[in-house]
Amino acid sequence: MAGVRNRWAIRWLRSQLPELVASGVITSENAQAIEHHYTDDQPRTNFAFVILATLGSALVAAGIILLIAHNWDDLSRGTRTAIAFLPLLVAQGLVVFTLTRRNESRPWREAVAIFDVAALATAISLISQTYQVQGTFSDFMRTWLALSIAIVYLLRTTFGAIAYVIGCVVWLFAAWGMFSPEGNPTLFWFLLILVIPYVAIRFRLDRNSRETGTLVIILALASLFGVGATADFANAKVGAIAYAGIATVIYLCGMKFFPQPNGRLHSLAVLGGIAIAVVTIVLSFESNWHMTTRVASVPRSSAANIAVVIELLFPITALSLIGFDLLRRRVAFSVSAAVSPIVTGLAWVIANLCELPDGRWQSTSCSFAAATVMNCYALVLGIDILARGIRTNSIARANFGLLLIAALAICRFFDSDLSFVARGIGFIIVGAGFLVANLMLFRRRAAS
Amino acid sequence: MNMLRVLTFGVVALAQLGVPAAMVWQREQTLKHGRVWKFRTAPVDPVDAIRGRYIALRFAAEEFDAPEKFESGNKSAYAVLKQDKDGFAEVDHLTTRAVETDDVVPVESAWWYKGKQHVRFPFDKFWVAEANAPAGERAYVANNRRDKQNAYVTVKVRRGDAALDQLFIDNEPLTEYVRSHPSG
Repeated sequence: MAGVRNRWAIRWLRSQLPELVASGVITSENAQAIEHHYTDDQPRTNFAFVILATLGSALVAAGIILLIAHNWDDLSRGTRTAIAFLPLLVAQGLVVFTLTRRNESRPWREAVAIFDVAALATAISLISQTYQVQGTFSDFMRTWLALSIAIVYLLRTTFGAIAYVIGCVVWLFAAWGMFSPEGNPTLFWFLLILVIPYVAIRFRLDRNSRETGTLVIILALASLFGVGATADFANAKVGAIAYAGIATVIYLCGMKFFPQPNGRLHSLAVLGGIAIAVVTIVLSFESNWHMTTRVASVPRSSAANIAVVIELLFPITALSLIGFDLLRRRVAFSVSAAVSPIVTGLAWVIANLCELPDGRWQSTSCSFAAATVMNCYALVLGIDILARGIRTNSIARANFGLLLIAALAICRFFDSDLSFVARGIGFIIVGAGFLVANLMLFRRRAAS
Repeated sequence: MNMLRVLTFGVVALAQLGVPAAMVWQREQTLKHGRVWKFRTAPVDPVDAIRGRYIALRFAAEEFDAPEKFESGNKSAYAVLKQDKDGFAEVDHLTTRAVETDDVVPVESAWWYKGKQHVRFPFDKFWVAEANAPAGERAYVANNRRDKQNAYVTVKVRRGDAALDQLFIDNEPLTEYVRSHPSG
């Protein structure tokens, strides 16, 4: 329970106590009782100290590398090899010490974990240099990640888990960079799945902590990158549905697993909501629905087919989450946002109904119809979010709804054939909507 | 619980040590027992030569006359080496058979253009220490021009494994050359 208390609020309250006693609002006994009440609420480990300890160990590791790199060529291969292993052996000794003697100290666990994985990277790179071992950066990242994940679990390090997820994204970019467009991203998902049990452990222990929140946000962002790489590799033109699926999964997970009091939203749900809005706006452009027979006629590899299956897992997961809540009659999410994969799927079917042009991406009546569906959906979504914001007295939500409508208007301003008068009127309506909605909300707030 | 964690870490620690140790073992075997091949380097764009702390290498043997294109399909390709009259390595022919002899090296990619077969050897980076990197770069570029071709590398090959050993400038290992020619 203590974990969800706002430490800033407690600090403020404590600073007010002498003033409240002096002005006679509360007695000094009351002040003592309040002080005593919050004494047990002190966090066991100082968050800043954990960060400093982690940073310190990373700097020590980096310093060792720099010292070794100096005059490296004067040393024999054997000496260089011994030096390469030294930091790793020291780090491993510290891990054993921490596990046996400092197992309950979070700063120790976090710092030693970072030191161990940094020493491992040092050993691999120094050996690679000493023995002129060739290999790509993505090979190095893959080996490093595979050897580091166990440390996350053994030392229960959330910073380590966050660094691991970022490492997975770095691997993804190295393997699927602009110089190697054919990199298979399936391993990315496998590496990412390895950290999921740790996220579940953190979730069970302390779902409301800042670290757990950061971990799930980083994981969600990493998944968004992963879907992009997977869609590119799969080359099956179902990326739109996959993106709508992952955005909805993020939104639903934020709503379902991180419920907040007073109608507030967890940052994961906010990220999912923003992702749904962005995907919807992007798909409202007709050019994104141009289909061709080219994709279907390319011979498909089994790896590319696996990538398609991975892509389709996201909308399926989103639909399962929606179905589960509908069956249990516990709908705590915005239905208009959650139906994003269904609407996108419908638009995809419509776009594929026409006879596809051969080899060229070009406009058809079906691609126009698909884009129209997405435009209507974006408008409905914007209005629904706006209405929700007004209903729940949330200025941020109402403005987000308006922003979505405005973004839609701006996009159509640039790519549609509407007359200047129609565009002008459209902008006036959206602008007036902003003013009226905000005026209403501020008035209502002032009244309450 | 704690003992289990320590034991599990024991396995993880062995794996962490095992990966670099295996790299050392394989390279040591190749460097000790492998057959020495000398590869003449080919001129490269000076801008491309230094990438951080390694010298990007290209080799004269990576391009050779071939009447028709080599097709490897989805299989890995290998180059069977032979010595030219000056003792430098050149490609005899390409194959998809992974024979573990001391005259076969893997090739990373192969393409054919106008009667010339091109390949890329996997040993294309020569790591240099931070202190020597700028001088090493200058020495390599100065001795690896079209009008002054004076650099080669030694590669030891054993059972299909190719280990880059030394980069020679004017018949001296790079480190010694940099020391004896401080001005580059």
